[in-house]
Amino acid sequence: MTVVPIIGPTEVAAVFLVSIAAGLIGALFGLGGGILIIPFLTLVEGIPTEFAVAASIVSVVATSSGSAATYVQDHLTNLRLGMFLEISTVAGAITGAYVSSYFAGPHEWALFVTFGVLLLYAAAVMIIGRKIDYPSDVKPDRLARELKLGGEYKEHGTNVTNHYEVTRTPHTFGISYVAGVVSGLLGVGGGVIKVPTMNLVSRVPVKVASATSNLMIGVTAAASASIYFLRGDVLPSLVAPLTIGVVAGAAVGTRLLRRTPSTKVKLLFAVLLVLVSFYMLRQGVSLYRG
Amino acid sequence: MIGSLDINRLVALSLRTGVSIGAILSLVGLGAWAADGFNAASFAPTSDIYGAIVSGLSGSRTGIVYLGVVVLIATPIFRVALSVAYFGVERDKRYVAVTLLVLAMLIFALVSGKAG
Repeated sequence: MTVVPIIGPTEVAAVFLVSIAAGLIGALFGLGGGILIIPFLTLVEGIPTEFAVAASIVSVVATSSGSAATYVQDHLTNLRLGMFLEISTVAGAITGAYVSSYFAGPHEWALFVTFGVLLLYAAAVMIIGRKIDYPSDVKPDRLARELKLGGEYKEHGTNVTNHYEVTRTPHTFGISYVAGVVSGLLGVGGGVIKVPTMNLVSRVPVKVASATSNLMIGVTAAASASIYFLRGDVLPSLVAPLTIGVVAGAAVGTRLLRRTPSTKVKLLFAVLLVLVSFYMLRQGVSLYRG
Repeated sequence: MIGSLDINRLVALSLRTGVSIGAILSLVGLGAWAADGFNAASFAPTSDIYGAIVSGLSGSRTGIVYLGVVVLIATPIFRVALSVAYFGVERDKRYVAVTLLVLAMLIFALVSGKAG
């Protein structure tokens, strides 16, 4: 087992402040905080990846459960679709959490490289992710028909009910497994994979996709969090400021920032993601070279 | 009688309660640690989770935070359990099976976690 890092008041204060910012930014751009917290903990604070990932995945459980309460009351979540996809995502998360112990220590470079690639992908989604808000003429596939995956939701503030169908279910089921592995391995929610997949592959309206992804993230993260937790990788001095910070940041964020950010702001954020990705990749390469 | 609307309300309430309790316990543990002058020994991680939680009940800092983590992890698991009830009320056998399978995997993660 890797040496447990010493975390004092300075580190706790830094983690707390960065977590608030990550929660806020996450709420604004529809990402969990994990994608920003892991680079901060590993690159800036020098915390070994298994402890950073363990603390982050616990905070992911907290933020997604917090926002899930709102989604449930808005009736946006597709419980059937979420639970069906959860079969593959949870299996993926368990795989990811188990495989992660192989990446501790000498193989840590691989985690940095994978995370760097995930950040690049997230930046690409931010820029080119054209979202279908009102998919039309969607023919449900056989599985979707048998599992009654289609649904409806009310447009916010109106009486308009939109009905939608789900298609290419097996594809999304498969990709959900990958999303679960990424979540369990890297300590992120993985909404950046789930939402575009449900939306672009299975043609689920983006609002429903976001709400359903949120339900899935909490359950998926609970699976991998239990494995990290029972392994003893959750450091109290890290997880406490992280959870409080992210929950507070996300709560303030969802209340303050109702509007979706403009294209310019999204572009700026994408540039930030690319920059963070560069540093993660660089760290991976330098660890690999020893 | 349990209607689907009541289950939604129960889900929302349990999610909020779980997150609040988890965050408050984290805050209490962190505060107690700060009051100790950030003494590293009183806040050490352990893989004896059960023992730590028992000691948390008598005021151990690590134990209080671990208790918070347990509540947080239990929150979505409880939600899945509620979904089993939801599909049960709807008499949707297929989805009762789907949800039970998810629940079984979550319990597997909890039971097998230590071996990793």
